Amino acid sequence: MKKAGGKTALKRSKEEDEEQNQIFNFNRKPADEDKDDDLSDSEDSVYSGLEDSGSDSEEEEGSDDDEEEGSDDNDDKMKEKKEGEVSEEKKKHEYEHDSSDEEDIRNTVGNIPMEWYKDFPHIGYNLDGKKIYKPIRNKDELDDFLDKMENPEYWRTVHDKQTGSDVVLSDDQVELVNRLQRGQFGDVNFNECEPMVEFFSSDVMIHPVTNRPADKRSFIPSLTEKEKVSKLVHAIKMGWIKPRRVEDDGRGRYYNLWASEDSSILARHKMHLPAPKIPLPGHHESYNPPPEYLFTDEERALWEQQDPADRKLPFVPRKYSSLRQVPAFSQFIHERFERCLDLYLCPRQRKMRVNVNPEDLIPQLPKPKDLQPFPTTRSLVYRGHSGLVRSISVSPSGQWLASGSDDGSVRFWEVCSSRCMKTVQVGGAVKSVAWNPNPSVCLLAVALDSVVLILSPSLADKQVILSSERLLSAQQEGEEPAEGNGSVVWSEAEGEELNQGLRLKIQHPKAVHQVVWHAKGDYLASVMPDNTSHLQVYIHQLSRRRSQNPFSRNKGLVQCISFHPIRPYFFVATQRSIRIYNLVKQEMTKKLQTNSKWISSMAVHPGGDHVICGSYDCKLSWFDLDLSTKPYKMLRHHKKAVRGVAYHRLYPLFASASDDGSVIVCHGTVYNDLLQNPLIVPVKVLRGHVMTHDLGVLDVTFHPTQPWVFSSGADATICLFT
Amino acid sequence: MSQIQARFFTEDKRYVVDDVPFSIPAASEVQDLSNVINKLLEAKNASHSKVDFDFLVRGQFLRTSLSTHMATEGISTEEVVEIEYVERITAPEPEECMMHDDWISSVDADAEWILTGSYDKTARIWSTEGKPAMTVAGHTDVVKDVAWVKREGLTSLLLTASLDQTVLLWEWNSERNKVKARHCCRGHAGSVDTISVDPTGTKVRLERARQKLKRQQRTPLMTLSGHSEAVSSVLWCDSEEVCSASWDHTIRIWDVDTGGMKTTLTGSKVFNCISYSPLCRRLASGSTDRHIRLWDPRTKDGSLVLLSLTSHTGWVTAVKWAPSHAHQLVSGSLDNLVKLWDTRSCKAPLYDLAAHEDKVFCVDWTESGLMLSGGADNKLYTYRYSAQQAEA
Repeated sequence: MKKAGGKTALKRSKEEDEEQNQIFNFNRKPADEDKDDDLSDSEDSVYSGLEDSGSDSEEEEGSDDDEEEGSDDNDDKMKEKKEGEVSEEKKKHEYEHDSSDEEDIRNTVGNIPMEWYKDFPHIGYNLDGKKIYKPIRNKDELDDFLDKMENPEYWRTVHDKQTGSDVVLSDDQVELVNRLQRGQFGDVNFNECEPMVEFFSSDVMIHPVTNRPADKRSFIPSLTEKEKVSKLVHAIKMGWIKPRRVEDDGRGRYYNLWASEDSSILARHKMHLPAPKIPLPGHHESYNPPPEYLFTDEERALWEQQDPADRKLPFVPRKYSSLRQVPAFSQFIHERFERCLDLYLCPRQRKMRVNVNPEDLIPQLPKPKDLQPFPTTRSLVYRGHSGLVRSISVSPSGQWLASGSDDGSVRFWEVCSSRCMKTVQVGGAVKSVAWNPNPSVCLLAVALDSVVLILSPSLADKQVILSSERLLSAQQEGEEPAEGNGSVVWSEAEGEELNQGLRLKIQHPKAVHQVVWHAKGDYLASVMPDNTSHLQVYIHQLSRRRSQNPFSRNKGLVQCISFHPIRPYFFVATQRSIRIYNLVKQEMTKKLQTNSKWISSMAVHPGGDHVICGSYDCKLSWFDLDLSTKPYKMLRHHKKAVRGVAYHRLYPLFASASDDGSVIVCHGTVYNDLLQNPLIVPVKVLRGHVMTHDLGVLDVTFHPTQPWVFSSGADATICLFT
Repeated sequence: MSQIQARFFTEDKRYVVDDVPFSIPAASEVQDLSNVINKLLEAKNASHSKVDFDFLVRGQFLRTSLSTHMATEGISTEEVVEIEYVERITAPEPEECMMHDDWISSVDADAEWILTGSYDKTARIWSTEGKPAMTVAGHTDVVKDVAWVKREGLTSLLLTASLDQTVLLWEWNSERNKVKARHCCRGHAGSVDTISVDPTGTKVRLERARQKLKRQQRTPLMTLSGHSEAVSSVLWCDSEEVCSASWDHTIRIWDVDTGGMKTTLTGSKVFNCISYSPLCRRLASGSTDRHIRLWDPRTKDGSLVLLSLTSHTGWVTAVKWAPSHAHQLVSGSLDNLVKLWDTRSCKAPLYDLAAHEDKVFCVDWTESGLMLSGGADNKLYTYRYSAQQAEA
C-alpha cells in the first residue's frame, strides 16, 4: 500500500503544480513517454532481459520506496527523481483512460454531503492538507439566468460539487451520457447485434466442434482405478468386506393385525351401514326460489289444512331479496330431532344388493306376429241402429249377430255380409242381449227395462226352430208356473209380438241390466242392480218357467253375473269383488279381490279356471282361480273406463272394449300344466268407432269359431275386425 | 348402361315384325316400346293404324321402365332380351246398370240371359242388354245363389238356393216368359249358401250350408261331409271332381263317384270364394285377409300357394276366371272394387272397376266377354271386355 500511497502522493504534488495547464501536460506527454521508453529499455537491458516494461516501472517504484531509507548513491537518486516524474506522467496517462468509478481525490474530505462546508470559505482539503477554497461565487439567480440565456455551453455545463467548479462536458462526454441514457453500451465500437454462431444446434454436424484429438489417457487403463480395484479385491479376499445381506422377507415386516381376532367381530366391522341420506336441498329450500316454487294461496291453504305428516314439504318456501334478511330457521331443532330419530330408527339390516341386468327382468314375450291369428283390421261395419248399441251377441254357429240398442230395437245381422236380416221393435232401450249357447235351439234373451224377453228369431234350421218352440211351449201343457217369489211374472207373447218372434216375457220387479245363459241353454240369469235389496239376481229355468232368487242376503251392488262354462258355479261381480258360488252346495267357494274401484264387466275363460274382469277405473284384471284370489295380472292399457271384456271360445284371445274408442286384443295362452302361468301378450289395438257423447265402445264379443271380434259402439254401429 | 339388345316377337299374326335384335334405350317404358313397334309395322305396312301394345318380359308384364323391371326380375342386361308383345287389353267398358230392389247376392250369366239372386227373396232374369225378363219369386228367404242348369231351345232350367234351406229348380220358357217350379230340393240343415252345376248340365250340383255338402238330383245323391265350418263355395272342377271352400280354412276336393275326399288345401284364413279355370288348371280363392291366392289342385300335399294377388283392402267376396283366357281373372271385394287381374302381372291389377258404391258380393264372366258384378248398392253392372275377342 505504501507503494500506492507514494505513487498517489507524487501524482498529487504534480497535479497541484500542473493543474492549470493539464492540457499542456497532455500534449507534452508523448515526448516524455518516448524518452521514458528509451530509458527504461536501456535500464531493462541492464537488469533483466526477461522483465517487461510494466514490471520495470514497478521495480523502479519499489526502489523509489527504498529512497526514503536513504540507500544508494546520488546518481541513483537523480535517476530516481527523473524516473519518478516519468512514472507520474505515466500514472496520469493511466488515469486518463481509467474508466473505473474511483473517487475524485483532489479533495480529501471524502464522500460527505457538501452542505457541511456551506458556511466555510473552503470546501475541503487537498492532499497536502491545504484548504481548497471555494471559487468566487457571486453568481445569483440572475447571473444563472443570464448564463442560461447567453452561454451556448450552458446545457453541457455541470457543477462539480466536490470542487465547486463548473465543468463543460466535451462532445465525447455528451455523447457518452446520451448513449448511457438510451441504455446503450458506452463503447461506440461495441456491436451488440453480432451474428450468433450456433455451435450447439439441433443440426448434426459432420465435424466436431473442436478438432482436438482425444487424449492418450482415454485409451490406456487408468492406473489409479486399477489400484483402487485391486485394493477392493484384496479386501474381499481377506474377508474385510462382506456382501450386503439380503432382506429376509420370510420373517414378514407386515402381518395381519387382526388374524387372531374373532371372525364374528370382524364381520361386524366389515358390515358398514351407511346412515340414511338426507335429500339434497332443492329450489324449495332456496331463500330466493323461482316464483313457481312459491305457494299460491290455495296451496298454502291446503298446506295448512294438511296434517304435518301428510305435507309434501315440511315448510313453506319463502322469498327474500337477500341472504342477510333470512331469519333463523324456526324448525331447526325439530328438524335435527327428526334427523336423529331417523338415524336412531333406521333399519339396521344390511341391504343385499343384487346386480341384475335390467334386460333380464323383462319377460320374454313372443312377438305379436308369432301369435297370429288375431283380428287386425276392420272388415265390416253393421249400420242400421239409431242409438247406442249396448249389447251384442253372436249365434253359436257364427252365422248371425244380434244387437240391442237404445233405439228400442233388436237387430239380427248376417255376419258375412253385414246384412240386417231382421229388426224387432221391443219398445225400450235394450240393456243386454244374449244368444242361447245351445246350438240345438235358437233363442235370444233380451233385457230391457224390467222385462226379459225371449225371442225366437227363426234364423236357423227348421228343426232347430221347432225344437226351440217346443222348449218354450213345453211348460204350457204342464203345471201352472210356480210363483217362486211372486215378484216375477212369466207371460206369453201375443198377437203382433208373436209375429215378430217374441215368445216369452219375464216381468221383473226392477230394471234388469244383464241377462246371461247357462251353457246348456235352459237356465238364464238376470241382474237387477239394487243396493238396498237382496233381490238382485234371478235364475230362470226356461223349460219349467220357474224363477228363483238364489241369494237371501245382500252383499253389495251386483254389477254382472256369469255361469261357469262347465261346472255348476256361478260368478257374481259386485262393485269391488267377484264371488263364486257353488250352485249345488249352495255356498260361496271363493271371493276374488279385484283391487279396482268399480267392476264393469266380467268374462269367464272357456276352460273355467280363469276370469277376466274390466273396471271403470281403466283396469283389466286377470284371475287365475287356481292361483290366488288376487289378480294374476293387471292390464292398464286403456285410457278410459273398460266397458266390456270377452274371451274367445277356441283361440287363446281375449279382448277389452273401452270408452276411449278402442278395443284391445290380447293373446292369453292358458296352459294345462298348473305350474305354468298364463302368458298374456297384448297384440293389437283396434280402432274404428267414433266417440259419441264421451262414450266409445260399449260391448265386445268374439266370433265363436273365427278369430274375429265384434264391437258395438256409441256411434250406433257394430264393427267386425278380422 | 343406356342401351339394351332386345328382340320382339308376338303370337298375333297381324302384328309380326322382323326377328332381328334392336338396340333400345334402357329407360324406355311401355309407351316408348309401343311406339317402336308401331313404327316398325308402319314401315312394313303403310296402311297400319296405331295400336297400343303391352309387353311381356319372361312372362311378366312390363309395368315400369325396362331397366327397373330387369333389375327387379334379375334378368341379365348383357344378352339379347326376348320381349313378347300383345295388343293392349283395353279397359272394360261399363255397359248396363240394372237396378234391383235389394242387395244382389249372386249372379250367373250365359250368352243370352243373366240370372241374379237378390236379398228381396227373388231371382231375376235379365237379357244381356239389361232388359228385365222375369222375376222368379218363391223362396221364403233371401236367395243366396243362382245357377243356370241347361237350355234347350226356349226352355231353360235354373236353380236358386236360399236361406230357407231349399234349392228350387225352375223351368223357364223364354218365349212365353213363364216360370214354373219343377222341384224343391230339401235336405240341408241350414241355409244354402252356394250351388254349382255340373258342366254337362245333366247331373246336378250341390251346395252346402253348415258343414255338409249335398249333391243332389231332386233328392240328395250324396252328402259330402268333412268341413268343420260353414262351406262358402262349391264348384265342379270337371265331371268327376267337386271342389269346396270353407270357413274352416280349407279347400277340399272330392271325388264324386265315391264321395271321398281327394285332396285338402289348407290355408290360414277363411275362404270366401273359389274359382277354377280349366284353361290353366288353377284354383283361385278369395279370403278374408284381402288376398287372392292361386292353388294347384293337383298337388297332393296341397298347401302350396302358387301366387298371391294383393291389392284389395277388404274381404274378397268373389273371384272368377276368364272363361277364355288362361291368365285373367276378375275379383270383387267388400272395398267396393272389382278388379281385373292378369296372373302375369301379379303386383297390381290390370284395371280397377270402381262402379259400385257399396260392397261387391258377386262377379261373373261370360264366354262372350261380358263381365258382371253385383253388390250391396242394389246395382248389377255389366262391362264389355273387348280385347278378349281380339285375341280369341
